[in-house]
Amino acid sequence: MALWVLGEFSTSGALLKAARDLRSRHSEPIETYSPFPLDGASEALRLKRSKVPLLGLVGGLGGAAFGYLVQFLTNAVDWPINVGGRPPHSAPAFVPITFESGVLLSSFSIFFGLWAILKLPQPYHPAFDLEAFRSASSHGFWLSIEVQEGGPQLDAVSTELKNLGAVQVAAVPERS
Amino acid sequence: MEASEVKDPLQSHPLIEGRYDNASLTQMLFNPVWRGAGRGWWLLFLISLGGTGLLIAAISITLARGIGAWGNNIPAAWAFGIVNFVWWIGIGHAGTLISAILLLFQQKWRTSINRFAEAMTLFAVMQAGMFPVLHLGRPWFAYWLVPYPNRMRIWPQFKSALPWDVVAVSTYFTVSFLFWYTGLVPDLAALRDSSKGKVQRIVYGIFSLGWRGSASQWHNWRIAYLLLAGLATPLVLSVHTIVSFDFAISQLPGWHTTLFPPYFVAGAVFSGFAMVQTLIIPARRALGLTRVITLRHIDNMNKVLLATSMMVGYGYLMEAFTSWYSANDYERFASLNRMTGHYAFVYWLLIFCNVLVPQIFWSKRMRTNTLVTWVAAVLVNVGMWSERFVIVVVSLTRDFLPSSWANYAPTWVDWTLLSGTIGFFGLLFLLFLRFIPAVSASEVKELQHELSEGNHVAEAA
Repeated sequence: MALWVLGEFSTSGALLKAARDLRSRHSEPIETYSPFPLDGASEALRLKRSKVPLLGLVGGLGGAAFGYLVQFLTNAVDWPINVGGRPPHSAPAFVPITFESGVLLSSFSIFFGLWAILKLPQPYHPAFDLEAFRSASSHGFWLSIEVQEGGPQLDAVSTELKNLGAVQVAAVPERS
Repeated sequence: MEASEVKDPLQSHPLIEGRYDNASLTQMLFNPVWRGAGRGWWLLFLISLGGTGLLIAAISITLARGIGAWGNNIPAAWAFGIVNFVWWIGIGHAGTLISAILLLFQQKWRTSINRFAEAMTLFAVMQAGMFPVLHLGRPWFAYWLVPYPNRMRIWPQFKSALPWDVVAVSTYFTVSFLFWYTGLVPDLAALRDSSKGKVQRIVYGIFSLGWRGSASQWHNWRIAYLLLAGLATPLVLSVHTIVSFDFAISQLPGWHTTLFPPYFVAGAVFSGFAMVQTLIIPARRALGLTRVITLRHIDNMNKVLLATSMMVGYGYLMEAFTSWYSANDYERFASLNRMTGHYAFVYWLLIFCNVLVPQIFWSKRMRTNTLVTWVAAVLVNVGMWSERFVIVVVSLTRDFLPSSWANYAPTWVDWTLLSGTIGFFGLLFLLFLRFIPAVSASEVKELQHELSEGNHVAEAA
């Protein structure tokens, strides 16, 4: 069972420095927590490129194709109506809805894709067991590192965090 | 806690007055939510609730008696319903402009007002959406607008501008909502964590989806937020363009003009900024947010009001010029009739409110005077409503054949629907101010972080 060692830092600078430092020496999962997006946090933790843009592109192209196809199949193939001699397959008139359905499906892909990538909604997380962690969304700069319970690392990691300038350090077990 | 910040000599008002640590920012921005409803809030709430009651009554009468309860009749088949629709949807556009377009342009001053403006967008589009549906006459068949396989074997006619409208408005609402909610999640998590009671903690906990503010969450969130802004930007321009197509692709003198799309979009942004001013000036004081929504924001928005006022003014001028230059009798008559006909007073009211009144904003003293701004903003709201009245009603009541001319007069149901939507809009807004922080805490903290780090170039917005 995993144990989460959480340390709070007083400034974002100290947090980023600690994250860079730990990342270079540990292979365990490390996360930083901050009340607002921190420049440099992704680089410090060496995060991979986000997949969100790809989802948005695929959704947008798919949505546009779908929108055009619906208009084409209903108005030009299944039941063509002659209005003032205009061609049943009238591409310029199909542009607005093609555009709108592209935007709509792209936004849906981005929105739901984002939560799927982040595995949210997730009501429980070990960090929530720590009362002091409440500050993470308001003013606290936290760092977590996952270690195996019973291993010798716990004390070492805690001291390491303190040496890097953590104001407080706590360990919470992952509930099964 | 004044940080060592170089003062920009060209800017007399800062974006954030003073510097705060993050804990006190949380405290200040969430205070309106946690301190509960005051007497003023309840008073306004009851008034809005009354307005909503009127709206329900007017809708019930419309449903029971049909469109005959309205003043619409041939030749004015479109009247208040469409005027109100275009007015409300236009108001929404400033919200998207502030939250999306200014984000892409990296205008830092949008930070404190974007959530507020985007909420206004959502609530305004909700009001707008009601009118075309009620105007169907048999709103219970509204689902016929959706292309679904049916036994009648009929499909919507996609070569008409009206189905474009349906798709544009529903897409606009949905995307605005997704964008707004994505930006809201970090603050909902902060509300969850700063809540005192168990009920609040659970409710905000559910809506915050378990957000922790971890680096990998921010990493993906940031790009998603930016992309949604990028999508909302062309979307907002397309929505009012498509609304203007409802008129522009017809043949009626006064409607049949290529000027309409840009002129409608400018008018929409103009009326939307006026509505933001109307709401934000009392709200920033009542919620104690004058230090994050400063005179700088009011000043900047007034500059946008002035610029867009000039754009619509140019539109009015070009409409008149083009109708004269076309040498077409019907076009020339349509223009002259606006200025001298039966509804001439509405035309001159709109010229006064939309073109003359905003000219006071050339003066910096006026731009930073909240009372003057508020009065001017209300007048602009009136002016923009009048503009849509002139476009819709004046053109319809005097078309090609004098034998089909007739005047239009709204009934009390028309007036009740209009004031009812204002009441319902107010109700939604009051609930928003009560339960959701009106200023995005995570974005203000990020902005302050940037400002304090000496990133002064960015502040020269």
